[in-house]
Amino acid sequence: MSKLIDLILSENPDIRNQSLDVFCKSASIKELLNECDKLEEFRKASDNLYEQVRALFFLYDIHRFHLPLKDGFPSGGLIPFDGYEDLLQRRFEEAIQKYLTIQKTSGACDGISSALAAAYRNLGFQTLANQVRASVRSVRGNQWMFRAGHPSDHPLRIVPELIKKENNLFPILHEQTPVRMDLSHSGWSDIFFLGMDFPEGARVLNISIDLSVREQNSQQSPRPPVEVFFRVINKPVIRLVSADLCAVTEITTFRQVFDYAADYLGLLKAAIIASGIVPPSMEGANQPISDLLTELVGPNLGIEIVSQVNEIPKGSRLAVSTTLLASIIAVCMRATGQTASLTGALTEIERRTVAARAILGEWLGGSGGGWQDSGGVWPGIKLIQGEKSKDGDIEFGISRGCLLPQHTILNQNEVTENTRRQLQDSLVLVHGGMAQDVGPILEMVTERYLLRSEIEWKGRLKAMSLFDQIVEQLKQGDISQIGKLTNANFFGPIQTIIPWATNLYTESIINRVEKEFGKDFWGFWMLGGMSGGGMGFMFHPSRKEKAQTRLQEIMREQKKRYEGGIPFAMEPVVYDFKINEKGTWAEIMTGENTIMSKHYYSLVIPSIIRQDPRAITQEQRIELEHFTAISKTHPAFDGMFQQILDRILPEGEKHTSQQQNLEELLVKYGFDRIQHEQIKTDLRSGRIGLSQNRLPVSTAIEDVKIDELYDIKDREHSKFASIGSDAIASGTVAVLTLAAGAGSRWTKGAGTVKALNPFCRIKGAHRTFIETHLAKSRKTNKKFGIKIPHIISTSYLTHEAIKNYLQSENNYGYEGEVMLSTGSIVGLRLVPTVRDLRFAWQEMPQQILDEQAQKVLDSLHSALMDWAQKSGEASDYTDNLPMQCLNPIGHWYEIPNLFRNGILLQLINSNPKLRYLLVHNIDTMGANIEPVILGRHIESKAAMTAEVITRRLDDRGGGLANIDGKIRLIEGLALPREEFEFVLSYYNSATYWIDIDQLLSVFGLHRKDLSDQTRVTEAVRSIALRMPTYITLKNVKKRWGKGQEDIYPTLQYEKLWGDMTILPELKCSYIVVPRMRGQQLKEPAQMDGWLRDGSADYVEKLCEWEK
Amino acid sequence: MKITKAVVTAAGKGQRNLPLQTLIDKDGEQKSVLSIILDEVVSAGVKDICIIIHPDDEIAFRSVAGEHSNHLTFVSQAEPKGYGHAIWRAKDFVKSESFLHLIGDHLYVSRTNKRCAQRVVEVAEAESCSVSAVQATREGLLPNYGAISGKRVHGRDDLYSVEKVIEKPTPTEAEQRLIVPGLRAGFYLCFFGIHVLTPAVMDILDYELNKKDGKNISQITLSTALQELSRKEKYLSIEMNDYRYNVGVKYGLLNAQLALALSGMDRDKVISMLMETLLLREQRSEGRND
Repeated sequence: MSKLIDLILSENPDIRNQSLDVFCKSASIKELLNECDKLEEFRKASDNLYEQVRALFFLYDIHRFHLPLKDGFPSGGLIPFDGYEDLLQRRFEEAIQKYLTIQKTSGACDGISSALAAAYRNLGFQTLANQVRASVRSVRGNQWMFRAGHPSDHPLRIVPELIKKENNLFPILHEQTPVRMDLSHSGWSDIFFLGMDFPEGARVLNISIDLSVREQNSQQSPRPPVEVFFRVINKPVIRLVSADLCAVTEITTFRQVFDYAADYLGLLKAAIIASGIVPPSMEGANQPISDLLTELVGPNLGIEIVSQVNEIPKGSRLAVSTTLLASIIAVCMRATGQTASLTGALTEIERRTVAARAILGEWLGGSGGGWQDSGGVWPGIKLIQGEKSKDGDIEFGISRGCLLPQHTILNQNEVTENTRRQLQDSLVLVHGGMAQDVGPILEMVTERYLLRSEIEWKGRLKAMSLFDQIVEQLKQGDISQIGKLTNANFFGPIQTIIPWATNLYTESIINRVEKEFGKDFWGFWMLGGMSGGGMGFMFHPSRKEKAQTRLQEIMREQKKRYEGGIPFAMEPVVYDFKINEKGTWAEIMTGENTIMSKHYYSLVIPSIIRQDPRAITQEQRIELEHFTAISKTHPAFDGMFQQILDRILPEGEKHTSQQQNLEELLVKYGFDRIQHEQIKTDLRSGRIGLSQNRLPVSTAIEDVKIDELYDIKDREHSKFASIGSDAIASGTVAVLTLAAGAGSRWTKGAGTVKALNPFCRIKGAHRTFIETHLAKSRKTNKKFGIKIPHIISTSYLTHEAIKNYLQSENNYGYEGEVMLSTGSIVGLRLVPTVRDLRFAWQEMPQQILDEQAQKVLDSLHSALMDWAQKSGEASDYTDNLPMQCLNPIGHWYEIPNLFRNGILLQLINSNPKLRYLLVHNIDTMGANIEPVILGRHIESKAAMTAEVITRRLDDRGGGLANIDGKIRLIEGLALPREEFEFVLSYYNSATYWIDIDQLLSVFGLHRKDLSDQTRVTEAVRSIALRMPTYITLKNVKKRWGKGQEDIYPTLQYEKLWGDMTILPELKCSYIVVPRMRGQQLKEPAQMDGWLRDGSADYVEKLCEWEK
Repeated sequence: MKITKAVVTAAGKGQRNLPLQTLIDKDGEQKSVLSIILDEVVSAGVKDICIIIHPDDEIAFRSVAGEHSNHLTFVSQAEPKGYGHAIWRAKDFVKSESFLHLIGDHLYVSRTNKRCAQRVVEVAEAESCSVSAVQATREGLLPNYGAISGKRVHGRDDLYSVEKVIEKPTPTEAEQRLIVPGLRAGFYLCFFGIHVLTPAVMDILDYELNKKDGKNISQITLSTALQELSRKEKYLSIEMNDYRYNVGVKYGLLNAQLALALSGMDRDKVISMLMETLLLREQRSEGRND
C-alpha cells in the first residue's frame, strides 16, 4: 500500500491530517515517482470527490515542489506541444496522459514535471468546481430551471398584486438587503470545498449590516447598501437598470439575456436567470423574449428591474456583489410567487433557496464567492456552520459536507442588545482603497488545506480555537477581548495560512493607529479575502469618533506614500454602520407612492426628455408626470431638477483639459509624432500588426544543443571565479536594473510602478523590488570591499515615483552610487484593430476557461471588438488618464539611453575602471553579480553574455534558438508558429553581461564620443533602425465610479533588447544558469510557489538588508 | 360510507356559460356540457346533485340539464368569492354526508369501461375517507392546478396517502415540498377535478371563511381546506391515467369535442371529416382546384 494513499484514506485524523511535506522531504526520486504512479492509478479508480481531489493535489505538489528540488533530478526536457494545447483546451486528462507517456519513454525531468503539475492542479480545481456546480443544480427548488426549454412551458407567473395598476401606475416591489460582515475571519473556511470536505471546520460569525460612507457635512445615516426595485411595464421587454453604474438595457431576445459581458448588467442578467424568470435551460431559445413575457406577465407587458448599490465601493470585502445577486433573486422570487410572502422577511427555506441561487448566479456570471456571502439575506448576528451530509442529501456519498451551510441566528438572549450596541460603538469600518483579485488567494487556501502542510494546518486549528473564543466573548459581551482576538487572528493564523493576506500598506496603518491610540486601540480585524480594502479597527467607544477622523487622514497619507508601487482603485473611505436586524426585506409601493430611487430618475428622465416629444410613449408620459409630481413634494428629491439638467447639458470642458494634459505630456516625454502616424497608417492598411511580428514560415528554427552553451552547473568554476572576483574587486562592474516598464501583468494594467511594489515579506519586512536588488549589490560590496554603482533605468511612468521613493527611503541606505537613467522616448497607445484582436483571441492558442467563465470572456471579447470598431481602429487611445494612454516603447532603449542621457559618461568619469555592466529586469530576483558568470563572460571575450534557464511550462515568450544557422535570442512574438517554442530548451532570463567598450563599438562609438550628443543620437538611431519593431497588445485599466475598473486592450509598439543578438558584429555568448537565478516574477499568483519552492530563500541568501 | 350527493361548481368568473355549450357526446347524441358532467356524476351512482351557480343562471342551467334536471338543487353564489367559498355554499345541501365534487368546466374521457367519477367514488366508499383524483402533470402546467405530495399506499400502485396540498405551486415550491417517489422529474400529482369529500371539509371551510385573519376570502381555495383535511383525517388520492379536458381554455371546447368524438361511436366519421379538411387545405395551399 502506498504511504500517501494511506494519508488520504485513513479514518484516523492523526494519519489523515499528516503533512505531505514530511514524507516527501525524506523520500528519494525513485520513491516519489513510485508514489506518483500509485496516486495516479488511485485517483482514476476512486469515485469519491475528496479522494480524487486530494490525490490530484498531492501529485501537483510532488511535481511542482518536491521532485525538482531533489539532487540529481534532470533539469530541462521538452514539453509536447499537443499536450500543451490539451491544457489550454481544458482537456486535462488527455494532457496528463501525454506527459506521462513522455515521462515513461524519456524519463522524468523538470520540464515534464512542470507540465504535469499544471495539469494536475487544474484538474483538481476543475473537479471541485464541477462538484459545486452539480450540487447547486441539484438543490431542490433549482432543478426545474434546468428543464424548462420552451417559453410556453414557463411555469412561473407574476403575482396579481403587481399587475394591478393604481393611478395608472404599476406597483413597485422594493427589496432592501444588508451586506454581511465576517466577525471572526473564518480563515477562509467558507470556501465551498472546505465546507464540503471539512464541515466541522467551516464556521463563521456573520453579521448583517447597514452602511453609509462617512463624509464631512453629510447627515446620511446607515441604510441597507443594496436596493432593488421590480415592476411590471407596458412594453414586452425585460428592462434592466443599474442605477449606480448608470447602465440601462432593454432585452428583447434570449441571446441578450445570456450575453453577460455585453454591458455592465451581467450580474442582473445572472440574477434573472438564477431566479427562474428566464430559466438557464432556455439559453439558445430563438423565440422573442416577449413570448416568455406573455406567459409570465401577460400579453404586451414586460418587467423592469432596477438595482442600486448605495455608495459602497467595489472590493469592500463585504460581499456586495453576492448580496446584490441575492437581493435581485429575492425580489424576483417574490414577484413570481416563489415566496410565501410578497413583502417583509423571507422564511428560512426561502433564504436558503436565495443563497443557493446566488451561488448559481455567481457561476453563471463567471465569478465566485464563499458560502457565507449571502449572509445579508438573514437578519442580525448568526453563526454559519458547515453541515455534514447525511442520507438523503444530494452530497451524501460524494463529499463529507453539504454545499449549503446551516444558519443559526443568535437571539437577544445569546448576544444582548447592549453587546450589539457596544460592538457598533467600538468598531470603525473602512475601505483602504486597494482593490485586488482575491481569486489566487482562495486557490492557495484550498491547496494548502488539501496538502495539510504542517504549519498551515496548525494555523487552521488555531483559527478554529480563536473562533470559539470570539463567539464566547460575544456572548459574554466583552468587545475589547474580541478586538484582541481578531487582531491575534490576523497576525497569527491568517498570515500563517496565507502570508499574502497582509501588505505593507495595511500594516503601516495598523502601526500608526497603535502608536496614536495606544491601549484604546483594541485590535485590527480583517474582512474577507485580503487586507487593504475592507478592514475593521476596534477602539474604546470613547475614542471611536476621533478614530474615524484620524483613520481617514492616516489612510490618505499612507496611500499617498505607497501609491506609486501599490495599485489603489479609489480614495480610502470610512463607513458608518449599524447591525441590521431584519435581513432582506421588501415593501410594495402603490399609486402615488411608487417611487424609484433618485439615481434611477436622473438616469432615465433625461433620455425621455431628449426624445422627440411625439415619440414619447404614454407610459413615459405618465412616468414624467409622476416624477414631476414627486419631485415637487418629496423632500428627498430636492435638487433633482438641477441634476437632470446637468445630465442633459453636455459636459465638454473636462475632456478638453484631459486632452490638453496628454498633449503636454507627449511633448515633455519625447513623442515622435511622425513615426507614430506612420505606424497608424501601416496598422490600418495591414502592413504591420500582431501577425506580422512573426518571422517567415520558411525560417529554420532549431533547438540549441547543450555543447553549444556553457552550463554553469556542470563546470569547474575556480578559474572563472577568480577572474570574476578580481574584476569585481577592481571596480570594473556596475549594475543596471531595468525599471522603466509598467509591469502590466503584475497589476493587470493598473499603471503603478512595479519596482516600488512591496512584493514580499523577507526577513521580517515587506521588501520592494528595488530594495531587494540594492540589497544584493550591498552584499557584493561587503564581500569585495567596494561600492558598486547601481543604475536604475526609468521612464515617464516610473521616474518621479522612483526618485521620490528612493529619496524618502534614503536609497535604502545603499552605500554606493544610485543613479536614475531617465528614458527620453515615449509612445502613445492605440485602439487595437479588430484584425489584431481576432488574431490574439481567436487564432493564437488561448487558455480556455471553465465553461461559464469562457462564455463570459467570449461575450467580453465581442464587446471589446465592438468598442474597437466604434472608437476607430488604430486611432490614438486617449479615453483614460493621460499617463495611462502613454507607453514606454520597450526595454531596448533603456540601454542606449545611458549613452544619450549622459549617465554612462558620468559613471565612467567617476569610475574610470568600469568595463562591465550587469543588466537585468526589475523582476529577475535572483540576478546578482556572480563572479563565476562574470569570469566566464570576461574569458569568452564576448561583447554580451545572455543568461538562459531550462524551460518550464510557464516560461513562455521565446528563448534561445538556432535560427537559420545563427544562435540568437528570439522573442515569442516573432516565432512563425506557436509550437516552435516547444522545441526550444532554453528560456531567456533577460539578464545580460555587457562589455561596455565592445557595445559602444557596435554603435560605432568610443568612450570619448559620449559627450557628443549629436553623434550619440545618430548612432542610437542607426542601430534602432536595424531592430525589429513589435506590435503588442497590452491591457490598460480604466477606473471609474466607486472603485470600478474596466480593462481595455490597447496596441503599442516596442523594441526589445534580446534582438541585439541578431547583429553579426555583436559577439554574444550564452550561459545556462539555475532556475532560481533566472526566473522572473511576472504575476502575483507566482508568489506562493516562489516562496515555497525555495526561490525566496535563494534570493534572501544573496541579500544584505539595510540595518 | 355511501356517496349519494354531489356538488358541481359553475359560478366562477368566465365559467358561467361553459356548462351551457353543446357538444356531441360519445353516444352520438347532442348534449350540453352540463349534461355530460351530470352523466359522469350519475354514472357513479349519485342522484342528488347540487350545482353552485350565479343567481341569474338557474333557468338556463335547468334547461340544458336534460333528463337530470329533476335531481338538481341550485345554490347561488352571488359574488365571486372564490372556489372555497363556492363549495362552502353547499354546506346545507350536503349536511353531514360525504359528497362527490366535480368542477363545471372539465370533461373526462375514461380509458376503461368505468367512468372516472365512478372509480373515485368506489375507492372512497371502500376506504371510507376523502379521495381526490390526481394526475401526473408536467411542471409547466403548475400555474393551473392544485397539487399534492404523498406516500404510496402499501400494495396499491395508484393510491397515495396525501401529506401536503398546495394550490398552484411554483415549481420551486413543488420541487422542495411536492416530490413524489416514482414520478418522472418535473412531474407532480395535480388535481384532476374530481373529489369525494367528507363533511369535515365543510367544517374546515366554515372555520377558514369565518376566521377573518385579514386574508381575502377569494384566497381560500379548496386546496387550503384539503391541506388542513390531510392533517385531520385519512385522506387519499387516486392517480388517474384518463383524459380530462378543460373547456374553459382557448380551443378547449373544440379539443373536448374531438376527444369525445374520437372515443365514441362516430370515430371513423370524424376521422374522415378531419382528413378531408386537411386534404382540401393542403390542395388549396398548393393551388390545385380539382
